[in-house]
Amino acid sequence: MAATAKFSLARPVRRFFQKHFERWLARRIPSQQEHQLNSRNIMIYPTRFGLAYLGFVVLVFLLGTNYQNNIILLFSYLLASLFISVMLHSFYNFSQLRFYSVAKQQGYAEEVLYFAIKITTEKTHYDINAHFTDKALNSQVEKIELCQQGSHELRLVYKTLQRGKHWLGRVTVFSEYSLGLFKSKSILDFGHYAIIYPKAKSLIADQYQLSAQADEPSIDSYQSTNSVGTDDFSELKSFVRGESKARTAWKQLAKGQGHYSKHYQAEQSQLHWLKLSEMPSNDVEIQLAYLSFLIGELTASNQSFGLQLSTELSCQSMNIAPNSGFHHQQACLTALALYS
Amino acid sequence: MIFFNNKSKKVSADAVGGVKMQTKSKAKSNFDLSRKNAWLLWLCQCLNISVIALELSTWMLAIIALSLAWQALLLHQGREKGNSLSKNKTVSGHTHRQNSRQNSRQGTNVSPIVLGIFALLGCVAIVITAKEVGILASMLHLLCFSYALKGFELRSRSDFYQLLLLGLFVLAASLIFRQDLAFSLITFALLVLTLAVLLQFFSFEKTFVTNIKVVVILLCQSAILAIVLFLVFPRLSPFWQVPLAKSAETGLSDTVKPGDIANLTRSTKLAFRADFGQQKVPNYSQLYWRAMVLEEYDGRQWSRQHKFTRNKTAAAAKNFSFDNSATGVSPLSYQVLVEPSFQKYLFALAPSVVTGDAKGIQAQADHTFNNSKIISQAKSYRLTSYLTAPLTLELTKQSRQLNLSYPQGSNPRLEQLALQLQHNYVDVQARAQAVLNIINKENYSYTLQPPLLKNNSLDQFFFDTQAGFCVHYASVFTFVMRASGSPARMVTGYLGGEYNGVTNTGDNTGKLANKGHLSIYQYDAHAWSEIWVEGKGWLRIDPTSSVDPERVNSGWSTQLLQQQSELNNDLFSLYRMKNIAWLNALRLQFDALDYQWTRWVIGFTTKQQYDLFKNWFGQMVSWKLALIIAVSLVISMSMLMLFLHLLNRSKTKPQSLTKWQILYQKSMAKLAKQGMDKPSSMTVNDFAKEVRQQCPELAIVFTRLSASYNRLCYQTLSTNEQEKLMLTMQQQYQHFIQVLKK
Repeated sequence: MAATAKFSLARPVRRFFQKHFERWLARRIPSQQEHQLNSRNIMIYPTRFGLAYLGFVVLVFLLGTNYQNNIILLFSYLLASLFISVMLHSFYNFSQLRFYSVAKQQGYAEEVLYFAIKITTEKTHYDINAHFTDKALNSQVEKIELCQQGSHELRLVYKTLQRGKHWLGRVTVFSEYSLGLFKSKSILDFGHYAIIYPKAKSLIADQYQLSAQADEPSIDSYQSTNSVGTDDFSELKSFVRGESKARTAWKQLAKGQGHYSKHYQAEQSQLHWLKLSEMPSNDVEIQLAYLSFLIGELTASNQSFGLQLSTELSCQSMNIAPNSGFHHQQACLTALALYS
Repeated sequence: MIFFNNKSKKVSADAVGGVKMQTKSKAKSNFDLSRKNAWLLWLCQCLNISVIALELSTWMLAIIALSLAWQALLLHQGREKGNSLSKNKTVSGHTHRQNSRQNSRQGTNVSPIVLGIFALLGCVAIVITAKEVGILASMLHLLCFSYALKGFELRSRSDFYQLLLLGLFVLAASLIFRQDLAFSLITFALLVLTLAVLLQFFSFEKTFVTNIKVVVILLCQSAILAIVLFLVFPRLSPFWQVPLAKSAETGLSDTVKPGDIANLTRSTKLAFRADFGQQKVPNYSQLYWRAMVLEEYDGRQWSRQHKFTRNKTAAAAKNFSFDNSATGVSPLSYQVLVEPSFQKYLFALAPSVVTGDAKGIQAQADHTFNNSKIISQAKSYRLTSYLTAPLTLELTKQSRQLNLSYPQGSNPRLEQLALQLQHNYVDVQARAQAVLNIINKENYSYTLQPPLLKNNSLDQFFFDTQAGFCVHYASVFTFVMRASGSPARMVTGYLGGEYNGVTNTGDNTGKLANKGHLSIYQYDAHAWSEIWVEGKGWLRIDPTSSVDPERVNSGWSTQLLQQQSELNNDLFSLYRMKNIAWLNALRLQFDALDYQWTRWVIGFTTKQQYDLFKNWFGQMVSWKLALIIAVSLVISMSMLMLFLHLLNRSKTKPQSLTKWQILYQKSMAKLAKQGMDKPSSMTVNDFAKEVRQQCPELAIVFTRLSASYNRLCYQTLSTNEQEKLMLTMQQQYQHFIQVLKK
């Protein structure tokens, strides 16, 4: 009972302190792309081993006093002052490091994202570790054992299942050099965030067809796609996964010349739209996953397409005009990631 | 669709589980020492235990050796495993580091049950033998046992830390038993080693030698503060009673048989030192350091008077001190520093009085001094001696009886000789001289290897073997004197000492030129006699002087030294050392250092601390004391910080800027005024591009300037080319300024 009461009491207190600490931290170490460590942003405190060491020194002191043994006393004094000089060494090992990191990273869900932190040093430093401060991220500690003069890179790993824009918060950088007695630590804010695209989910070709944007909103989009086949045949292109089987050049396939699909003149000039509403699922997430897959496929085959997430055409922010290329792909995927 | 849903969820759940599993396994195995580090740690364990090995019993040493050997074996096996692993994956370039990580000390981990049983058995053994070896020793056994066993379970980083702290504690504990300079230096070296192993853990890439260097630097920096702490931090009295060290007694013992001291003289250990300050050191033959007076003789051995009767006479001891100071004999004042002997007797040149701090020192009626406690640490005291003054002038009836008694019929031939002498010489001193003459004239020899005597028979020695050491002669002499009816007694102690004058501090005044100290070693142990002469008191007679005068006048003869080195059979025997001049000089130098160490560091007492304060700061008040402590700590700490700061500053001093860098930075400043800042992360080319976009009119001039700058910075150019390019860059800069002004 007592324990639970204590716990319930402790939590608000802890939350209170945490809140104040964060506010203080925000003032002390504001968000920046580049940080240089100095006495302003370095926190240094004894580790558990450091405290145990202090206890040990006291024990040796007691031993010396009880035996009235000057050499043991000298031994304990030496160890005690070592504690202080190690603190200073620890500080100097950590200070004057420069950290630079780009805030934004993007990638698919369940994919590993790397947040690179560039470290520039003017002298040799040892044992530099970094991880995301947020414990919920379960970030592994990345380590550089020897940081010689020049620049180095640490890559923090981030992996998530959820799409969207994730703020990763601060990065804890620490070092326990030289004897593990002290932890020099800084909690840097690079403003890190990750844009996580929905994980691509492959779609069986029958389940969808590219649709052209209807000129008149009243006409059903399915109708317009049916008209594609009536245009003049222009060329054969090698088959790309996801393309409709209806367009497969069966003759060539039967002759064993390879899997080609027929392309038509009209289609080249026509603009195609990927529509969320047309994705074959009830679950929005799965629909987005299909879209993610299609965007990838279409970009790979260098086709031009537009993205329409909102059923209302008036909503400009949710729709992306047809285009192609890497930047377009990223814009589309970002739109998917941020869709809510 | 539902199917899809499920699957995706399952996948995601798996993924989460996978991540968790990964982190878990990581947490478990995240401690692994590199192979080199593991061996170093092992070495460290061996060395740390070896410094305290003398205090451990044999069975414990055997157990420790066994477990360390086991650990070494496991480590070795671990390497083979590691090797086979590395053979399997030698492909990628990354393997080097992985291998070094894989060859970890996981191998030394033994199943906890086996370990637990082993530990339990060890503890039981320690408890059983606790009574026999004493509390302190059994604590030490426990400490060392756990230190040796801990090596088996290095599972996490905290285990590693614990092992290192245990090692440091073993080092600290070893200082209980020995504190001399050599031992302290060894301990210091091992401290460096232990800390370097710890440092190695954090800077794996550095070589061990550099790590040792770093640790030495660290410790030297800490030494400033440590010395200040040592000087100013108040000495506290013991908080609680601690079990005292029960080490083997060294030096003379309470009883002496013929042949005893000959064994003792094989040892070249230091017994004590004496410092006469600026006074002249007395002649060698006057340096009879009295330790014990042996008055009881049972036919085999001489022993000290029983404690009970001794205490009775102790009261009388105080009186003669004043008598002596009145006689007008010139006093000789000196300081004695006794090495731990784990016995109680002290040394003095009789007759003497304790001056200064006499705490714990008891003067005895027979002019010897006793410490109230067993001497387990170096102890110093000051004495004033009146060398030519007579000892006690009165002899109590009880004492006379004691000094005349001997077991009748124990040595019949000597008794007969004594009766004859008593008849021939009425005067006691003449009788004594007659005995000495016999010893001198007959074919007696002085040797470290006297033949064994049956039942310690003095007859056998005096009439048959005729070869003996000091105790033989002193025993015979005392026996004969007693048998002839004059009181006589045996005295043991040390004779002479080695004068070490290298402590000359190099003072130009020449005042301290005479400064030095006398070191008295165990091989200086000696026994002599005293006879009672009416009106003159106890007179010292040394029968050794008639068989080997050199021993009494200047110390050991070369023949004896040779004999000693043969007996000891060690490479660095005193004899050999004394023959090599530079080695001997080195030995004396070290002895002088050790003396200063013993005097100032080991013997730094509360009183000395107080005197030091008084010298420096005048009369002491408690608030002043506190202030001194605080201020000196703050000063030394800030000194340390300043020192480190300067050290780090000089390393990170920015390189001087080159001409082109200055020029480029000037143009940067100009542009910044225009509202165009170059972020430090942006390259020169990128920035030029941005300038082109923002201010097209600047485009050409600035791009040229940037290009020149880039070439100057990154291309390898000859000095000639560099100058040319520098000139063009200056022109470009002028252009740039002109355009900017427009």
